[in-house]
Amino acid sequence: MSKNLKRNLVAYGLVLPAFLVVMLTVAYPIVLAVIQSFQDSKTGEFTLDNYTYFFTEPAQLKNILYTLYVCLMTVAIAIVVAYLLALYLRFVRSKIAKTIGTLYLVPRFVPAMCAVYAMITIIRDSGLINRIGLVFGHDVKLGLMYHANGMIMMNLWFNIPFAALMITAGLGAIPDSIIEGARDVGASKFKVFTSMILPLSIKDVVVAATFVFMSNVGSFTTPYLMGGSAPKMLGIALFDQFNKYLAYNRSAALSVIMFLICSVSAGVYIYTNLKENEWEK
Amino acid sequence: MKRRLLTMILSAVMLAACLTGCGGKAGDSGNSGDAGSGGKKAVSLWATGSDNVREIFEALVSDFNTNSEYAGQYEVTLQFMLSGTGAQTLADMLAAASKAGQTNTDYDIVDLSGDDLSKLVSLIGQEQFVKLDSSKIPNAASVEAKSSIATDYCQPYRGTTVILAYDSAKVPTPPATMDELVAWMKANPGRFAYNTPGTGGAGDSFARSSVYNFLPEEAFTSDDEKWIGEWDEGFNFLKEIHPYIYSSGGSVVYPNKNQGTLDLLNQGEIDMCPNWADMVLSQRASGEIKDSIKITQIDPALTGSLQSLVIPTFGSNTDGAYAFMNYMLSPAAQELMVKQMAAIPLIDASSMDMTGYEDLQGLDVSNFRLQSIGGLSTSFNERWDSEIATIG
Repeated sequence: MSKNLKRNLVAYGLVLPAFLVVMLTVAYPIVLAVIQSFQDSKTGEFTLDNYTYFFTEPAQLKNILYTLYVCLMTVAIAIVVAYLLALYLRFVRSKIAKTIGTLYLVPRFVPAMCAVYAMITIIRDSGLINRIGLVFGHDVKLGLMYHANGMIMMNLWFNIPFAALMITAGLGAIPDSIIEGARDVGASKFKVFTSMILPLSIKDVVVAATFVFMSNVGSFTTPYLMGGSAPKMLGIALFDQFNKYLAYNRSAALSVIMFLICSVSAGVYIYTNLKENEWEK
Repeated sequence: MKRRLLTMILSAVMLAACLTGCGGKAGDSGNSGDAGSGGKKAVSLWATGSDNVREIFEALVSDFNTNSEYAGQYEVTLQFMLSGTGAQTLADMLAAASKAGQTNTDYDIVDLSGDDLSKLVSLIGQEQFVKLDSSKIPNAASVEAKSSIATDYCQPYRGTTVILAYDSAKVPTPPATMDELVAWMKANPGRFAYNTPGTGGAGDSFARSSVYNFLPEEAFTSDDEKWIGEWDEGFNFLKEIHPYIYSSGGSVVYPNKNQGTLDLLNQGEIDMCPNWADMVLSQRASGEIKDSIKITQIDPALTGSLQSLVIPTFGSNTDGAYAFMNYMLSPAAQELMVKQMAAIPLIDASSMDMTGYEDLQGLDVSNFRLQSIGGLSTSFNERWDSEIATIG
């Protein structure tokens, strides 16, 4: 046996367990789900009904649009806030910046369930804010519970630290010397930002955005505890189809729809990565 | 050498196979006990449910074996099946034993929920249970609650039901009928809520009762698809009360889970909601919710269920089973069940210590309204989700 072949075999042997696990637990169920989503629940024959249901039933169509709205709003706000935070942490050297730099990751260590309940006790119509308001004679009803805004707020709690972490890492990779060089030849702060910092960090911003988007499309805990009865996030709609209506074929179709929504963002992610490789050449 | 080892291993395997083959049959009369006073001493009690049910049964069995009037005469052992863990449910096991024509098994006495009882009656028929001799259960004389199925063949011993939970500080006189409740809702918009059906039994009960109040009583225990066509009037009723349900941020909200509405009630965001009697009372007793929260039943009642004991004819200790049945209706046993699970006692509670659970005495247990619409519940929830939840 040649040395090369041996080395190849060892390499494949090392990859094989991981490969098999992924095939068995990820690829195989996905294939099954896709097949099931095109089958009639009673006869098992080919049908598109499971898909048309989600795009023709008004309540279901609303669920899809609602999910997109919540996710896109979360992404937009989280990225803007996280970017500003990351810029501050990168370029301001003060005690406050240092403290924020250590504290901003704390939400990542709070279990999701605890965080959601904590938020509920504060923002619900009879929550902390309402009670403080009552002391001063104002009956403050935020109306955030059971509505999109409350959920977006909760998502921001989870996603801003995450996005900021990624973007900070990107900004950290920009050497001070470039910026100092640009300043030396007379570039304004704004010019430095638009033509150096932004282009150099945009890739991390896009990557953070795709991750935030994907993690929110299928979220369950937050919408289950804070969402209203209708419209619903797709995670809850899927739970309903599967657990409440026992409509397994429709559940499969909805899973595929969610998968496709996520793959748009996954596509953006891959495109950005490839583009950078091109630029690096 | 190698061959000898192989022979040894093989014979060991075969021996093990033989032993498991003989001993594996559940329900065989394994434990004969001693026949001291002419009757058999050992009694096997079969029950199923979640872990809190196991705890209460362990307490009851140990009390029966050591403190009751039957101590020393009978020795009950508990055979508990944690729900959702066995491949076969207790009801399936009983049906199988009966259909296989087994006799003299150790299914001496069995605890069954209303659902399991109706399932068994339809599978094997009520004659597979001993027709109860009331002279052997003297404590049952004061029990008014009757099971609607297999009435003479089972002995109800505790119940629970969905009731109307309300904040007595804000509602001094709660509604007594559904009509009064609706009038109250209209007079106090936004102060009532029920949880999304499919996320908890209280919301299920309220929504289904509301719809089935317009249908003949028999429909409520039927899974015949013909009733789906008659839901319209009930759903119109649910649409009619929709604007008066709790709202937040400008739109009506149905919280998820029984606890969702109970939290709103406890926080003072609503004054009334349907919920489980045992859930409300045990949380009040432990201080999780306010003391001012009380319970009441409306007419027509929200639905509940009775838990019953049966003695299979293919068991082996009928007298012991009767003794345990009688014990379960003794004040001591009933008090234990009230204290540990806020169960509704079925005997006269005046001789019992009901501290903290006084509300249970006010509930009329003679008229438990049962519901079992089987597979129709999925269509029901789907229709509710698409017609009621989406009104906004």
